[in-house]
Amino acid sequence: MFQTLFLSLGFGLITASVLAIAAVGITLQFGVTNYLNLAYGDMLTFGVYVALVVNQHFGLSIWMGLAAAILLTSLVAWLINILILRPFTNRNSPRVVMLVVTVGVSLILQNVILAIFGEQFQQYAVATGTPRHVGPFLFTPLQLGILGLAVVTMVAIHVLLRYTRLGKAMRAVSDSPELARIAGINTRQIVNAVWLIAGGLAGLSGVVLALNVVTFTPTVGFGFIFVIFSAMVLGGVGSPYGAMAGALVVEYKTAVALVILILVLLLRPQGIFVLRGHA
Amino acid sequence: MPPLFFYLMTLATFGVIYGVLVIGLNIHWGYAGILDFMYIAFVAVGGYVTALLGLPPAQPAVGETYVLGLSWSFFPALLGGGLAAVVLALVMGLLSLRRLRADYFSVVTVAASLILWTIAGNAKSLVNGWDGIAGVPQPFADALNLDLNSYGPFYLGLCSVFLLVVYLFAERLLHSPFGRALRSVREDELVAQGLGKNVFTLRLRSFMIGAFIAGIGGGLLVTYVDAFNPSAWVSAETFFIWAALLLGGSANNRGAMLGALLVPVLFAEATRFLPNFYSPQFVNASRYIVIGILLILTVRFRPQGLLAERRFRIPQRQLLAPSDVTGHTAIQAADLVEPDGTALPRTEPKASDGEEAHRG
Repeated sequence: MFQTLFLSLGFGLITASVLAIAAVGITLQFGVTNYLNLAYGDMLTFGVYVALVVNQHFGLSIWMGLAAAILLTSLVAWLINILILRPFTNRNSPRVVMLVVTVGVSLILQNVILAIFGEQFQQYAVATGTPRHVGPFLFTPLQLGILGLAVVTMVAIHVLLRYTRLGKAMRAVSDSPELARIAGINTRQIVNAVWLIAGGLAGLSGVVLALNVVTFTPTVGFGFIFVIFSAMVLGGVGSPYGAMAGALVVEYKTAVALVILILVLLLRPQGIFVLRGHA
Repeated sequence: MPPLFFYLMTLATFGVIYGVLVIGLNIHWGYAGILDFMYIAFVAVGGYVTALLGLPPAQPAVGETYVLGLSWSFFPALLGGGLAAVVLALVMGLLSLRRLRADYFSVVTVAASLILWTIAGNAKSLVNGWDGIAGVPQPFADALNLDLNSYGPFYLGLCSVFLLVVYLFAERLLHSPFGRALRSVREDELVAQGLGKNVFTLRLRSFMIGAFIAGIGGGLLVTYVDAFNPSAWVSAETFFIWAALLLGGSANNRGAMLGALLVPVLFAEATRFLPNFYSPQFVNASRYIVIGILLILTVRFRPQGLLAERRFRIPQRQLLAPSDVTGHTAIQAADLVEPDGTALPRTEPKASDGEEAHRG
């Protein structure tokens, strides 16, 4: 009995780490730009299919695919910001207009991928390896890799936010863009950097998600976005550490996540893991 | 009858039904500024309930299961569909319209739409699951002794009557004190609140009215296409209707109808017969890509849509010189004037605005 308990706990840990990466990415972006991005899930999908091309078409290992996915998704997110979103933010478009624009971006991204790859299920050519015991848990080497990546990412984000100039500037812009600008922070540069980072995280979490669910279609990311949103909202909108905690709680059963999302938005819109005065 | 005539008749019927649907969304977004991304769910609920009320009892023997099956006649069934959508809007609105910021509300609506879609697909006993329901009875076909040839024009006429009624109602609503209050909420919630309007009930009422129109439109649609399953109302369909409204012109009902003609009918239908190449999903996917581009370009370069909202204007001759009267009277003299230039009756808006304030 304990074995199955630890087995499911272990599985929960893996899914939570996938979710945590994505939730931190979207939280960073939302915190700094201050509008929701409904296309974030499709940015994940983009990363998933970049890795697929590298892995299947060029026959390289999935880790090469992962690196390509991080780089290219980061680039695409940056381009989307420069070409599509910035003309709107320059004119101070209201948040609801930004939401409609990201819906447009989502439709475009998702369907470009659909047009190219079709709607059939795909999967990476990757060996999962034989499971082995780590303490009470049972993990395959692939799952251990996922877990390691998630931990490294979280630590990296923590170091970025806590100790670097860029991270401090990002937190400042997130608190108040006007004050940040007065303090001499180039907010436009910060927003660009945030899109690069959020895009990279989207690519990373997309590939890890695809590895975890094994088979996927072009709607893999869009279906996942509400799970990400609920982790973000549960953790407290705009708070990256809350997003990490939220991910552990939500894991991903889409139905459960949707219900959590709605309940938290209704009952405690500031999130559960928010310190006083930091909402 | 020649096939081309049949084809054009089909397009016209879809255009008329989508006209109803886009006007309903207009009341949500154009009038009240509610960011409703679950609109297609209201359409679907209206469609399902209309069909379930009109259908004969289910026959589990042939593998179809659904609730109700009351064999009601058309109008009561359609009314039931509209009211079911209103109930859904009431529940959603009571839960989330009061507390949530517009963008969080929209996320909740997409999530709700997905939940309902999943329920409809998985609940085999409720609405026959992914297979959906079929064989919705054709209203008045027997009573009027219409055959396959003459039924098309008859149903087109029936739907046109519905569109006309919905259009006149929406126009009346737009220029009523209620409609003006709604638009004030849309423009600035705090100002509306400051003037004693109950923002929440105004929004909730418009949410229910729009949902009723969506439900009626859904009933007309399902009755026309004769069959309905979850693949007909994926959440991306909501954005077809959104694209139609934004392109045609928010808060302008003629714009809404123009958008219905341009986006879901001309654009979606005209591309239906393009040959597929490269991949089996190519044409379908390109359609959504174009809708995405259309959404972005519209809000970027023509946010008011093709037919802009007609704003109240104040004719110069009615503006009194400031020296004549006090500033207060000057504002009253420059009271709202309908687009055709006729001044509104002075007492009517005041009376019902007062009533509004009391209720709030």
